[in-house]
Amino acid sequence: MQKETALSAQNIVKYFHDPVDMKVLNGINLDVLKGEFVSIVGKSGCGKSTLLYVLSTMDTDYEGELIINGARATGKSLNDLARLRNESIGFVFQFHYLLPDFTCLKNVMIPALKLGKWSYKEVEERAYEKLKMFGVHEQALKKANKLSGGQQQRVAIARSLINDPAIVMGDEPTGNLDSKNTGIVFDLFQQLSKEYNQTIITVTHDEDFARRSDRIVEMADGSVIN
Amino acid sequence: MKFGVNTEIALTYLFSRKKQTIIAACGVMFGVSMFIFMQSLMKGTNDYFEKQSFATTAHIKVYNENKLADKHILENYYKDGSVKMITNPKMLLQNDGLLNPFGIIKNIKKNPNVTNITPQVSAMVIYNSGSVTLNGTMAGVDIIEEDKMFDMQTNMVEGDFKDLVKVNNGILIGKGIADKLGLHMGDNITVRSGKGASQVMHIVGIFATTIKQIDESKSYSNISQAQNILGKDRSYVTEIKINVKDYNTAPEIAHDIETITGYKAESWVQANEQIKAAFKIRAIILNSVIGVILLVAGFGIYNILNMTIYEKIKEIAILKAQGFTGPAVVSIFLQQAIYIGVLGAIVGLTFGYGITLMVSKIYIGAGTLKYLPMSFYVPHYVESVCFAVLTTVAAGYFPARKASKVDPVTIIRG
Ligand SMILES: Nc1ncnc2c1ncn2[C@@H]1O[C@H](COP(=O)(O)OP(=O)(O)O)[C@@H](O)[C@H]1O
Ligand SMILES: [Mg+2]
Repeated sequence: MQKETALSAQNIVKYFHDPVDMKVLNGINLDVLKGEFVSIVGKSGCGKSTLLYVLSTMDTDYEGELIINGARATGKSLNDLARLRNESIGFVFQFHYLLPDFTCLKNVMIPALKLGKWSYKEVEERAYEKLKMFGVHEQALKKANKLSGGQQQRVAIARSLINDPAIVMGDEPTGNLDSKNTGIVFDLFQQLSKEYNQTIITVTHDEDFARRSDRIVEMADGSVIN
Repeated sequence: MKFGVNTEIALTYLFSRKKQTIIAACGVMFGVSMFIFMQSLMKGTNDYFEKQSFATTAHIKVYNENKLADKHILENYYKDGSVKMITNPKMLLQNDGLLNPFGIIKNIKKNPNVTNITPQVSAMVIYNSGSVTLNGTMAGVDIIEEDKMFDMQTNMVEGDFKDLVKVNNGILIGKGIADKLGLHMGDNITVRSGKGASQVMHIVGIFATTIKQIDESKSYSNISQAQNILGKDRSYVTEIKINVKDYNTAPEIAHDIETITGYKAESWVQANEQIKAAFKIRAIILNSVIGVILLVAGFGIYNILNMTIYEKIKEIAILKAQGFTGPAVVSIFLQQAIYIGVLGAIVGLTFGYGITLMVSKIYIGAGTLKYLPMSFYVPHYVESVCFAVLTTVAAGYFPARKASKVDPVTIIRG
């Protein structure tokens, strides 16, 4: 049986104009199936983050076409894309970006409160569950800026999963974690993809992490080479 | 705990910056309380002066106005069809009073808006006691009707105005006249006009208003006495005074009366143009002061939100990355502005009421004006809140819109 495509990028070209005109993405073609766990690797500066921002629908300034869950994302309005992200895409940033004025629990809850699919109480319980999965539930009621870098990153991963997104994207989500916690995150991602058919796309520098995932996409100078 | 997520974020931001929030709210509070205080003071003063002017002026006065000479008379005289022209025409004195005044009164009484109507005979007179004389005006009135219109009782210092009914040649004189001529209750005073006979009158009462000129010149007598002094018959009336239900409608009613009777009907608005001008000037001053205060309050909010947005630009980007739409971001920041506005408005209401109450207790003690006239008028409070909310929304909207335009990738990419 042919598996469905979760995400399809067709001939993505991206330029930066500052300081000089530079072609950062050089016609990227990438199809990711539902439930697939993909690692994107490549040298620093080859355009991995840039690609991920395009795939996540946050960056709309590109040429080519992006299709998510069978629907064309390219050309949609910013507000429509925001709703799409809220519902279907979880994102872990390269530098764990939490909201410092809020508790860790609130940080995790906010995307779900926005989605409005669950009651406040349910959201609270779900958020606590997610924190527990990554072993940061004891920090739940602390302000986000009171946590260590690694803890913040784990909270950020928990947050990306709160709405059960069809696709989870991470830009070096384990960059700040020790091997034990990296292991936890990897196992969890694998579980999400195998058991819950969620699609995982992560940029990583961790060779071991990449090797154990379903597929490695290697990039060099703005192109997919493998 | 049951707020929407936008509200929750807005409140968290406000609470995490308590000091700025309070300062911004103080700006609004100041604006609202000043608005209330100044409006109360102005309305209080205006009402007071209006009431004062109605203590001596009827809402409408009907009288025979002097007319400009025209060629009608010439045409009656030279019936030869020639063209008549009057160069430099002069005013003609109409001193015949009103024709058929009681018919006019009957007619005007039909208007349901008219509450009081009374005829008056005004006479320029010279008061005389011993060898001292004093110019003034005597109003021949129906004192009972006069009291209904002007509340004679409050101004009486000595005697009872009702005695005028009993004593045919009685007179009520201003306190200034009594002082200048050295007269007391029960004394006699000689009153004469340029044309008529002089008349000895009996002082049955002394009154004092807040206006010195009136106290030093005005007196009240029965209508018949004034007619006697002027040497006129019993149908002679110089003016008819009218009060209406709502004095703001006086100009229109006056206009109607003018068309019906053909005589000049002057409303209090025309008679007190200087008071109205003063009202207007005060209103302009007041509104500019309030405008400036609200502007400053608005700028405070604008500034704070702009600063917040500058500081939180990364967080806005994260929120947008997680699926907050532009309108959601506008809502988050506009709500902050509104809460600052509402907080400031509520405190400002209380504060404004407090100041107004305090100032209304300040003793002035000038004439009948014992305390500063402050009005407690609910619409002022409603208006002030509306203005505050409008200002804050306007001040908050632009920063909020700016926040909603933040491009998440540009910020997150660093
Ligand atoms: N905002 C930007 N403006 C101009 N050039 C940029 C910008 N962001 C990244 N680049 C350039 O684009 C290339 C790809 O960057 P990036 O996608 O961050 O690489 P990676 O994530 O693979 O390390 C780099 O050469 C980088 O210098
Ligand atoms: Mg990168």
